[in-house]
Amino acid sequence: MTSPFSNSQYPIYLHLLLLLRFSSLDEDCTLEKEEGLVEEEDEIDQFNDDTFGDGAIDDDWQEEHKRLAELEERKNDGLGGLGLGGLGMGGMGGGDSSTVQLPPPASREGGGGDLAESLAMLILGADPAIASVGGPAGSGDRSTGLPPPPSMPQQHHHPSQLPSHHQLTPSGLPPGPLHPSLLSYQQHQHLLRRGGAPMQQMNSHNIWENNMGFGPVSVTPGLITQMEDSPLMSIIKEVGLPNRPPPVMSEDGRDFSERAPPPRSSSPVIGSPPVRAVPIGTPPKQPMSHIHHPTTVHVRAPVHHQHRYPPSFPERISPNTLLNMANSPLCRPPFPAGVGPVLSQIQRAQMLNSQVAGFPRGCQGPPLLPGGGGFRPFFGQPPPHRMGPHHNHVPCPIIRHNTTHLHPQHRRMLTQRMQSRGGYRGGRVGDWRSRDPYSNLMTQREKEWVAKIQMMQLQSTDPYLDDYYYQNYFEKMEKRQERDRDGVRKEHTTKLITPQVAKLEHTYRPVQFAGSLGKLTVSSVNNPRKMIDTVVTSRTDDEEKREKQVWNKRRQILYTVEKMYSLLLEVQDFEKRFMQTPEEQRETLLEQHKTHTLQLYASLKEKEWDDRVSDEQCLLIMSVRKGKRLISRLIPFLPPLQAATVVMGIARNLHALAKKDKQDQALCWLVEPVAVVISSLSSAALTDLLQELQGSEGQLSKVLQNKFGVTLLYLILSEGERMQSSDLNCQLMDDNRWTELVFSVTRELLNVPPSSLSPPLFTPPNLLSLFSRYVDRQRLELLQEKLQISALSR
Amino acid sequence: MRFTSRPKMNYMPGTASLIEDIDKKHLVLLRDGRTLIGFLRSIDQFANLVLQQTVERIHVGKRYGDIPRGIFIVRGENVVLLGEIDLEKESDTSLQQVCIEDILEEQRLQQQSRQEAEKTKHLALKERGLVMPRSDIMDEYGVQHQY
Repeated sequence: MTSPFSNSQYPIYLHLLLLLRFSSLDEDCTLEKEEGLVEEEDEIDQFNDDTFGDGAIDDDWQEEHKRLAELEERKNDGLGGLGLGGLGMGGMGGGDSSTVQLPPPASREGGGGDLAESLAMLILGADPAIASVGGPAGSGDRSTGLPPPPSMPQQHHHPSQLPSHHQLTPSGLPPGPLHPSLLSYQQHQHLLRRGGAPMQQMNSHNIWENNMGFGPVSVTPGLITQMEDSPLMSIIKEVGLPNRPPPVMSEDGRDFSERAPPPRSSSPVIGSPPVRAVPIGTPPKQPMSHIHHPTTVHVRAPVHHQHRYPPSFPERISPNTLLNMANSPLCRPPFPAGVGPVLSQIQRAQMLNSQVAGFPRGCQGPPLLPGGGGFRPFFGQPPPHRMGPHHNHVPCPIIRHNTTHLHPQHRRMLTQRMQSRGGYRGGRVGDWRSRDPYSNLMTQREKEWVAKIQMMQLQSTDPYLDDYYYQNYFEKMEKRQERDRDGVRKEHTTKLITPQVAKLEHTYRPVQFAGSLGKLTVSSVNNPRKMIDTVVTSRTDDEEKREKQVWNKRRQILYTVEKMYSLLLEVQDFEKRFMQTPEEQRETLLEQHKTHTLQLYASLKEKEWDDRVSDEQCLLIMSVRKGKRLISRLIPFLPPLQAATVVMGIARNLHALAKKDKQDQALCWLVEPVAVVISSLSSAALTDLLQELQGSEGQLSKVLQNKFGVTLLYLILSEGERMQSSDLNCQLMDDNRWTELVFSVTRELLNVPPSSLSPPLFTPPNLLSLFSRYVDRQRLELLQEKLQISALSR
Repeated sequence: MRFTSRPKMNYMPGTASLIEDIDKKHLVLLRDGRTLIGFLRSIDQFANLVLQQTVERIHVGKRYGDIPRGIFIVRGENVVLLGEIDLEKESDTSLQQVCIEDILEEQRLQQQSRQEAEKTKHLALKERGLVMPRSDIMDEYGVQHQY
């Protein structure tokens, strides 16, 4: 006794099976066990695969069952092999009575097993066909007392003549042939709980088959797909059909049932696959269908159930009235629940059938098929709704559309067209629609959803860009209409208001944390990952031009410089080559060399004047670092006069060059060659040089900012000093120019702020003596300080 | 109780949409040449169709045969065209319905004759030096087999 219950692996129905068996042995245990079981069941997860799904089916079970069955048989003769076989609720086996495994009544008479057999009798007997097989025994047993299932919701509209306590049939079930699989989930659960296990005694037919033999149409799935909006159906759809009733063993132990696939669960309960996020393509869910918690299954369904069933159901309903009842809500326009189909062919057929055949033993009820078992919830739906507040007849066709994207002219045309067409079509279509059992499979919401998607594609921020011809066409039409109307009705001419959808900012900006190197990017379909984060800086045309010009110029300068370089290199290499070439060719080489040098100089100098370096050229070349270097290398190779002019040119332009040279200080390369040149200068030239260096007002200060400038100045001064000190007959003092120049220099030196005075490359030692000649002590001291000329460097 | 007619919901005025065609009988021509007739039950944005009580109609000459197929789900890209069938006018057609076996036989014959014609043509062209690739005997690697 204990073993089956202790082993939690066993499916529930097995427990009940055994329970029923053992109840015959021990009446006292029955109820207790039931209760115990019930409690256990509460804790059990309905969606648990182990209990109801794949895990539930294992081979051991069958053998175990067999074993137990054999045991039982030996124990209970009275029950007859598999009294439980008779417990099956009977397929709708109208014609298959042979397969009804009803234990012969005689065997039943034996021992207890009241519960079992009474159940069997009750359920089987309910079906006229089966009941006829059961015969007298069936009817006889009806009167046996049965513990009424109190928790079962009373079947109100069950005009069955079964005694009330026999209403073990769960709510919603017609007393007609009951197909367990067609029971609502809730009903099924109730059955299980009550212990009145509706053992499906399975014949060889597939449970999905319609045993009434109404053709190939399978009722259940079809109906279920139809009734998508009843919560029950939606429940079934969500959850999958309830697990098949436990396969019942026949007398010889064969299992007739086929294995049903385990119920598909989509709840987030542990053990079942997680609810997936709805992908983009899925249509909207039914309004009442979402179930997240198993218990709600039980809670909701009965609630809805109760409401739905009308208090009474006429015994005989003509097909028409039935149709009417079911159909009228269909025609309501904004019917939220999207009423399902009316009646399947089977149901209609059965109605007729039942009407014709009549119900034996007055077993009536709505002449619904077992399919109606599942169908019932739907059925219940229409009546209350029908009676309810849904009397919103829509007199005129609802034009519910989103025409913002259309041209106003177009819209007008369409409304006119629709109005003219609407009345004509309406009546006939409605008629036909009502007869279509599969109509409205696609709910309103779904239609709208598809329409919405299609509408989205029509949205346009720039209608003239997206559909130029459409816009133009309607504009022309408008104009034509205006012309035709001859402007009589001015008020109709509407201004063209092209509807435009606001351009939404859809660009995704990746998150960037302060101080981090990269950006935290979340890539999706709408925002594919950027492989390279390029920032486009758009420039205006002018800027582009200017930049181009600058670059072109620079390129040109470089080109010139490079050309000169090649010459220079040749010049530089001359000596080496000279050594290498034989005597005869030396002349030519020399000539070559000279030409080169001249060429070089020529490129620097002014066009006309021979003794002056072109300022432009000089500036250009010197503006480039390469050019500076070039000049520094070039000067030693030039004849002295030309070199002097070059240096002059440099001095002259130094103020401009100094600015450019600020960063580089590349001018310093020039120091050496320039120094050499200076030392070879005459006094007049020197003076000139100094003058050039000073140039105009303010020039010197700029020069002084540059290191080279300062150095150059010092060089000049020191040279002058050297001249003066060494050569007593120096012509330097002959004109006042030198003196004046030196004066101005000293003045400048004193005035210039120390910050802008660049330290020279080197300070010639004789500067102090120079200054001491020209300035008084005070100033000398200042100068000394400023220029950091130490007295020791005298 | 009278039937209230369903108001005409105009979803996509001025555009082509299959929403209005739902629950109506349609004839659908597929890219592989099949003709399906069924009730259009559901659509989606790709014009995938759900046809119910579908019948595949095979036309050979002036005769046709129907093969009941049940429920079809057709991928939108495979539809060449579809059109609503006017139920009233459906019956007045000059075409003659025959049973399935007959029509299949006729179709087979038709196919056969076509193939033979094609073969002879191909042969004739080959004799003249022009080899046209035949899609029916060419496999995916462009190899033509002729057994």
